[in-house]
Amino acid sequence: MTELEAGRAQTLVPQRGGAALQRYRDVLIALIAFAVLASLPLFTGSKALLDFVIRCSAYGLFATSLNLLVGYTGLTSFGHGMFFGLGAYSFGLIMQKLGVPIPIAFVATLAITAIVAAIIGAICVRLKEIYFAFVTLAFQMLIHSTILSWASFTGGDQGLRGGIPRPAFLGINLANHVHLYIASCALLILGLLAMRQIAQSPFGYTLRMIRDNAARASFLGIDVWRAKLTVFVLAALFAAMGGMVMALFVSGAYPEFAYWTISGEAIFINMLGGVSTFLGPMVGTVLLLLLNDTVTRFTEYHGIVLGVVILFFALGLRKGLLDFVAEWYAHRRETGEGR
Amino acid sequence: MTRTRTPGISRRSTLALMGAGAMTFAAPWVARAQAKTIKIGMPTILSGRVAQLGTSSRNAVMLEVEKVNAAGGLAGRQIEMVIRDSKGQPQEAARVARELVNTDGCELMIDAEASSGAFAVHEVARDLGVFCIHTNSETSALTADPKQHIPNAFRTARQGVHDSIVGGSYAAAIAKAKGLKKWATCSPDYAYGRDTTAEFTLYLKRFAPEVEIISESWPKLFQPDYTEVVTKILQAKPQALYSCLWGGDLTSYIDQANIYAMFGQMEVFAVNMADYTALTVVKNLPKGIHSGNRYIKTFPTTPENAAWGDAYKAKYNEYPTNWSWENATAIMLMAEASKKANSADGKKIAEALKGLTIKCPFGADGTVTMRGDDHTLVGYAIGWGTTIPQEPYVPEVKAGDWKTIFELEAEWKKSKGYT
Repeated sequence: MTELEAGRAQTLVPQRGGAALQRYRDVLIALIAFAVLASLPLFTGSKALLDFVIRCSAYGLFATSLNLLVGYTGLTSFGHGMFFGLGAYSFGLIMQKLGVPIPIAFVATLAITAIVAAIIGAICVRLKEIYFAFVTLAFQMLIHSTILSWASFTGGDQGLRGGIPRPAFLGINLANHVHLYIASCALLILGLLAMRQIAQSPFGYTLRMIRDNAARASFLGIDVWRAKLTVFVLAALFAAMGGMVMALFVSGAYPEFAYWTISGEAIFINMLGGVSTFLGPMVGTVLLLLLNDTVTRFTEYHGIVLGVVILFFALGLRKGLLDFVAEWYAHRRETGEGR
Repeated sequence: MTRTRTPGISRRSTLALMGAGAMTFAAPWVARAQAKTIKIGMPTILSGRVAQLGTSSRNAVMLEVEKVNAAGGLAGRQIEMVIRDSKGQPQEAARVARELVNTDGCELMIDAEASSGAFAVHEVARDLGVFCIHTNSETSALTADPKQHIPNAFRTARQGVHDSIVGGSYAAAIAKAKGLKKWATCSPDYAYGRDTTAEFTLYLKRFAPEVEIISESWPKLFQPDYTEVVTKILQAKPQALYSCLWGGDLTSYIDQANIYAMFGQMEVFAVNMADYTALTVVKNLPKGIHSGNRYIKTFPTTPENAAWGDAYKAKYNEYPTNWSWENATAIMLMAEASKKANSADGKKIAEALKGLTIKCPFGADGTVTMRGDDHTLVGYAIGWGTTIPQEPYVPEVKAGDWKTIFELEAEWKKSKGYT
């Protein structure tokens, strides 16, 4: 922990002059990434690859949003999965019961998530460290239990049955596999770009300051509670976006989406990929899903394999993969300059 | 002249013999290579708490597939099973099912998922149009609800509502004979537990209107300690108890209730007791627990059923489970439908499977039928009996009456708005 903090302290220098330049660079990278992903179906007919990218979008949005809390603000939430589940269920229920166009359901889901997150956040962000972690976990279990016991509305442990209707809008038909793929990529890239803007904005640097020294931030006149609540709600919105992508992919929503294991997976992803770089969780997502998909093909003892991998990262590298690469690169540059 | 040729088999004839031998052995391989194998995908639960049931599903499928392959396969194509773990997570089940069809090239699907996983795979079947048999989900809505209906999906599992009708009428007969009026229930707190208990009491009261439920307990799924549940029931002093706890929950419940000598104080009706996974694990199986049959080789009392149970035991060194017979039946039906359609094509098999009746060791009268209008299995062996502490565990099972089941099921469907 101290090593990581020391590493972070070095990067805590806002590049004021280059802020606009960096924003253009980020947008350019996002556009290129989207172009590459969107043209993928032209080169390959592999539905499995497209499925993989759709799932990466869902988990990537979810895990990166958790990193806004864990990596940038120092709020280790154990219950972030509740917003993933909330997004999936709200979207699925709105589509099933009201039959509105998809964009309206999308916006309505975000609105519902924002309200719920604001209420839960208002209670949670007053607490520190382990207390914060446990109260978020408690709220997650509350939402999970509600889904299970309100069977007449949510379908209980059987989940939302009968499929989620996906009527076409603006020429986009999400029942079509390629359309769904492109829409997921677009959501992923837009979500990542928005989160990147949040992280690089003055607000983002306020969050880093709160993470490193909340008392000092408070003395400087920052309303710590408000800043924490704001990022809690923002992170919840992106997690809900991930949940919606997942709901569209499986054409349903299941209580497992709101169970604590989903939060655990996101934390695992952050550990794998690293929390001190923006794209760390994205790298972690690709790694975890790739590992999961290949290992389960060959053995039912995937738990052992994943356990060994996490031990390797926790004890061997002692940080996420992208953290490791970034540090190695920085170290190489330093020694190179020293020569 | 000296004889150069030694007596016995000449080199030439040895070569000829070897050649012929090679041809004989190679012939089936050549034939097999010519007729392309058909892959059947099967997502199931092979890790976690119910892994034992998933494994028993795989065992039963492999046992039957070997027989089908030995008899020539599906329309001349050898079956290759691709079985993968879903960890009991619906999103994984959906992913694995899609992967099996899209990447591994599986043309048919056995969905050996429980509960929500089955509904997730059902959506994949709807999406991809692949032929699919659900083998483990007992939730009635999966086939009874017309919203769920798709032409390419079937179910070969028992059904919650069938169990409740048979259980309700059996329990009512005993309630009347023994004057059991005060009843308690104790079932796991999730959809299966709630629905099954509600349906059981509905039919119990229908056949024995004087019955009254005086206590209800809803322990959590996978709860380790049942002390408070047991004492609550004992304090209520019911004359009979109904429970649909299953697997490890049921066995730990019985072990803990035994300490309080609960089973001597009331009649116990535990629908999931008569399954080898529960019967063989309980430390002191009380005598006289009423249970529905899950899989037991002594019911139906036919040599075919006993032989099937023994063959399974001989191969895997354990007895089959409820999920085993359901999965075996899926392969039997698939093979028969493919023979009838003379094709291994999913659409043609689905067409032939509608309303198909086959000979089956698990049939109430030696046959089972895939009902055409709602694609679910009927005519399977279903009944109730009482336990004894050693093999055969449930010596006599009273068979349920399928005529009554059909009547009441139709009524139930109407009440749910399904028909």
